[in-house]
Amino acid sequence: MTSVRPKLKADIPKVITAWDVATGATVYQTADRNWSENIADAEVVVGEAADAALEAAQGDELRILDPYVMEVTADGEVTGRETLRETIRATGPTTHTEFHKAARGVVDA
Amino acid sequence: MPLVKNGEVTANPHGEVLTLEPFLEIAAADPKDAVIVRLMPDDCPLQLEPFIEQLEVVEISFPRYADGRGYSQAQLLRRRLGYKGEIRAVGDVLRDQLLFMLRSGFDAFELGREDAAQAFAAASREYSHFYQPAADGESGVFARRHS
Amino acid sequence: MYRYDEFDAQIVRERAAQFRGQVERRLSGDITEDQFKPLRLMNGVYLQLHAYMLRIAIPYGTLRGEQMRKFAHIARKYDKGYGHWTTRQNIQFNWVALKDIPDVLDELAEVEMHAIQTSGNCIRNTTSDQFAGATAEEIEDPRPWCEIIRQWSTFHPEFSFLPRKFKIAVTAAENDRAAIRVHDIGLHMRRNDAGETGFEVIVGGGQGRTPHVGVTIKPFVAKDQLLDYLEAVMRVYNRFGRRDNKYKARIKILVSETGAEEFTRLVDEEFEAQRDAEKIVLPQAEVDRITQYFAPPAFEDLPDTSDVLEAAKAKDDAFARWVRVNVRPHKQAGYGIVTISCKPIGAPPGDVTDTQMDVTADLAERYSLDEIRITHEQNMVLPHVKLDDLFDLYQELDSAGLATANYELISDIICCPGLDYCNLANARSIPVAQDLQNTFADLERQDDIGELKIKISGCINACGHHHVGHIGILGVDRKGEEFYQITFGGRADEKAAIGQIAGPGLRAEDVPSALERVIETYREVRSSKDERFIDALERVGHDPFKEALYAAG
Ligand code: HEM
Ligand code: SF4
Repeated sequence: MTSVRPKLKADIPKVITAWDVATGATVYQTADRNWSENIADAEVVVGEAADAALEAAQGDELRILDPYVMEVTADGEVTGRETLRETIRATGPTTHTEFHKAARGVVDA
Repeated sequence: MPLVKNGEVTANPHGEVLTLEPFLEIAAADPKDAVIVRLMPDDCPLQLEPFIEQLEVVEISFPRYADGRGYSQAQLLRRRLGYKGEIRAVGDVLRDQLLFMLRSGFDAFELGREDAAQAFAAASREYSHFYQPAADGESGVFARRHS
Repeated sequence: MYRYDEFDAQIVRERAAQFRGQVERRLSGDITEDQFKPLRLMNGVYLQLHAYMLRIAIPYGTLRGEQMRKFAHIARKYDKGYGHWTTRQNIQFNWVALKDIPDVLDELAEVEMHAIQTSGNCIRNTTSDQFAGATAEEIEDPRPWCEIIRQWSTFHPEFSFLPRKFKIAVTAAENDRAAIRVHDIGLHMRRNDAGETGFEVIVGGGQGRTPHVGVTIKPFVAKDQLLDYLEAVMRVYNRFGRRDNKYKARIKILVSETGAEEFTRLVDEEFEAQRDAEKIVLPQAEVDRITQYFAPPAFEDLPDTSDVLEAAKAKDDAFARWVRVNVRPHKQAGYGIVTISCKPIGAPPGDVTDTQMDVTADLAERYSLDEIRITHEQNMVLPHVKLDDLFDLYQELDSAGLATANYELISDIICCPGLDYCNLANARSIPVAQDLQNTFADLERQDDIGELKIKISGCINACGHHHVGHIGILGVDRKGEEFYQITFGGRADEKAAIGQIAGPGLRAEDVPSALERVIETYREVRSSKDERFIDALERVGHDPFKEALYAAG
């Protein structure tokens, strides 16, 4: 049961996010259609490029699951209505900071 | 679509199968022809009681695998009405449901996959024991522990 | 407690092998996520915000040291060193990789545990009173029947694709600690006029979007008819439960839309219609076999009171407080029932570390005849502790951070994972719980406030039982901001009731001060220190408390 994410307008900058099939880690689509646990590696996409990126992700079932588009700024910073949720996904739970991706060296602190 | 029966893929000999309402009309007029029917999830299996001796095939339809009413329908046919003919699962029939179906009294399966016979064989061997008695004739572990 | 025989062991081993095959088929691309999802969901594997989550059943909340130690090992090896007790006496691991789950299941099978039916639209883990078999309040130990229900419902061929999930809880004590009236089926063991014990059957309780208190459809079902009667209830539900709308698919909606009387008639009719060929054969020898596992353990003959205990209490105030708050009377003279709080001030409620699990396992073996219970309120229990041993036990618990004296007090908060972990959440719940615990950290003050159950959920699914909190807190999302809706007057016990919403939601930072004002109001209106919050609320009504809640400038 995946929750339904809000629809985003075409001209809003976006990142494709999903989960790694084998580990469940939160991942972001990179420009070469690979996946990174670090949101800083993500490709920012807009308009039709975003639709194409999501479609590519949906065809990548062997590596990831449940891909969707999330809102970012033009610089790739988490923003919009789901800022809190996506910040928690990108960094880790707000309790237990020892679980943060930064604490594990996945992203810069 | 491949039909698996007794573990083997067999030809599916029947053409158009009547759903319950037209079946009941025809059966009322000429009971001799009343040998095959398809139940949808909303249909009541007990309405087949008058024809239970002559029925050869009851198809139970699963429009969505998650709609589990067909399991109750099959159990009622077997255990309440004593139906001995074929119960065939049709529709959204998945490999990982087969064991539940076998236990509920189904003995034929329309499986939408090329390796239907192997899938059936693998699925039906997954468990050696079952806790509950069911329509497959298994007495269940509760009883087996003391027999 | 129950031990597997070769049948149980083989079923659980075969289940682990079956799931290993399903995971392999998913990882190799043989099946799609759409096909795999229902399979993983039949085995407690959810996808959360950061990772997969694995939910493991602790049948009726009973386990032994060896099993707890296995949880510690899994937490260490496959997770980040934590486990989380849930409101249905399960444990959840929040960071397990899918590729490792088959190994975890193999390890669990070694100690007679599994994740079967911990999710999916099937009959879930059967829960019970955490004091079962230890409290003098019950007419008999309900756990043999929980185990019988566990076995009957495991891979039930007819009831594994129900309209929605299905939860059964059983108690045999008047004081209901198992929340049976907010379950799909609640079973309350009763004695009839002939002196036989059987079950009052309560159906249609539940929380979530549309909370309901269950209704009694049968005051007494004899033991030898229980499973057949349950089959009748399940068949009526499978047949008539709504499948057109996920939010209306639970049995509570069927019971309320059909009417309790008509629903009862349908069940009775179905029960009467069952032919011999449909009856479940449950030989008396089998009931006896299972019951024998729950025979009272080898208690020593001890006096009612303990001089060792009294002396220690006189010397150590903190210990005396812990005994008063966390230790409850046992049916056996010279013993007590110890609740180990998993709600230390400022920590996520219900979280325990691998080390704490190891310590608890050791202590259970040494002090509690190798028995541990997990409670739906997310605590642990050592059910059989000699009063003479309480002080030694307390000191060891204390050094492991497990001796918080707050059982049933304001900081003993039920709290779901919320937006820190949960993919369905609207708002965080753990930080709210932590803020409240810090606000009311002073144990003296908590003690003065007395029994008060705060329950927090991060969304309307109500895993944190907010509907039945004396004070319930529900996280909602308003345009990307977290707000918290407060309810008053819910309760999960024998007088189960759904709390009423007090008014508009509060910001997270305003919740602690608002509840401080509510508590002050309670202290002003209570007739004596013995009148609990929930009783004062019932006597004077909600208005003064609502006023206090919104009284800020
Ligand atoms: C999965 C779907 C269904 C199941 C499992 C089911 C099951 C049953 C059962 C167990 C009975 C026997 C009750 C008794 O004898 O006291 C029964 C009777 C009956 N059901 Fe159904 N039913 C289903 C759907 C329906 C539907 C959709 C209808 C109506 C369109 C229906 C109409 C009836 C009628 C009229 C009877 C009385 C039959 C008689 O007395 O011989 N059932 N059904
Ligand atoms: S109540 Fe909502 S937020 Fe909390 S665990 Fe359940 S689904 Fe998640």
